[in-house]
Amino acid sequence: MKKYFRIACVLLLVSVAWVGCKNDFPVDEDGLLITDRAECFVSNFELLGGDFQTVRTKNPVIDTTAQTIQVEVFYGTDLRNLFPQFSLVTDAKLDPKITGKVDFSDLANPKVYTVVSGNRKVRKPYTVYVTVQKP
Amino acid sequence: MQRNYSYITLLLLICLLGVSACQEKEIVTVTPLKGSGFQNDVIKRTLGPNVVGLDIEFAYAMALPRDMGRITSAQVEASISGASGTYLEHRSFYTDGGGADVGVVVGQPSATEGRITRVNFTADTSAATLRYFYRIPEEARGQSVNFTFSATSSNGQTVSYTMGPYTVGKMDLKLDLNVVDAGACYISIADMAVYTAAQAAANPDKIDLVYLYRTIPNVTFNHGLVSPAADAQYRPGITLPAGVNRSIKIRKAWGIRDFHLARTQFGVYIDDLDFQQLNLEGEPNFAINMRAESGAWVETADGRYRAYIYFNAINNGARSARISIKRYAL
Repeated sequence: MKKYFRIACVLLLVSVAWVGCKNDFPVDEDGLLITDRAECFVSNFELLGGDFQTVRTKNPVIDTTAQTIQVEVFYGTDLRNLFPQFSLVTDAKLDPKITGKVDFSDLANPKVYTVVSGNRKVRKPYTVYVTVQKP
Repeated sequence: MQRNYSYITLLLLICLLGVSACQEKEIVTVTPLKGSGFQNDVIKRTLGPNVVGLDIEFAYAMALPRDMGRITSAQVEASISGASGTYLEHRSFYTDGGGADVGVVVGQPSATEGRITRVNFTADTSAATLRYFYRIPEEARGQSVNFTFSATSSNGQTVSYTMGPYTVGKMDLKLDLNVVDAGACYISIADMAVYTAAQAAANPDKIDLVYLYRTIPNVTFNHGLVSPAADAQYRPGITLPAGVNRSIKIRKAWGIRDFHLARTQFGVYIDDLDFQQLNLEGEPNFAINMRAESGAWVETADGRYRAYIYFNAINNGARSARISIKRYAL
């Protein structure tokens, strides 16, 4: 009986040690999981105004080869106070991060956002071209 | 020795089970009223911030055992006298099976003297629930107000119940202003009023916004609120009266259907705090394509007022809109 009890205790200790000593998954500087995925693209793009309603007049044109996003916004849109939203491929992240409203008013110098793949080895800059609806 | 180990193991298992099984559960209990005799209770029926000119509504319930007598009077004393329109119902309401409130007359219509509103009972009743409507007066703006509800029975007993303090907001409210393109389209936040071009010419320094409706091919313009100082392309076809040239900061808002302004089913309230924390730095001086049930936060150029303009209704055919304004003086 004593022998069985000891075996049970040893098994328990081994299982605890096994669970406790598993390697952590790798994470990046943002605490996000680094995975094996090398895919790196923007799947959708949205632009919201100060009222958090879309300012797009139609669907954006996302060219994943040329790495550009073309978006037309309503006449009278305040380009200085817009909230961009990117949908990315699984595990990818955006650089720079979007933390609040963004000024898109300098149409001659469009904003560039870089998509970083899940394995953090592929970086693709996307340029966002905003045009305003004209009468 | 073997038996000892078995006992210890068993004991540990039992302890483990005991710890997990004996976690205390929160049990809801109802505390009965202490004592008996003449009792009273109050609930506040209105929600949201208290705004000058609006009512705070209470339901005051009072009852005593039948053999102890009947109710002879009920009164409410407010710490600040209510404005005209303050009253205590002389009908006791109950809710019928269909959910409708049914009133039963129990006394004379209330009389208000100073801070006290009183109902003298004429019905022989030992239980009643009276509603009290306190019309918030101008004197209460930014102040706190308390209420003492009391009732007297025929055996001389008196019961009372204190409610409050309730803080009254500093906000102003103006409902249902009709703005018409090329008509009464000049909006003054300072006056919370709408003026025609002729009236605006007489008060140019008070005009903050111009309402307009445009249908322009290929663009979505529709109903707009544009400051006189905005780029001319956003106020096409408008010749401003002499001296009307003020600017404003404006941000469109959607989904903020303030209950006081919209009077719909949505329990959303704009309070003083919203205006205090509002930051319109860098916002434009025009807003176009306003829709029904949308709104706009604004701040006047002189920094004296912040306001929320709500579009209750729009009418494309009549080129008009009905707006309501909540304003906060900084």
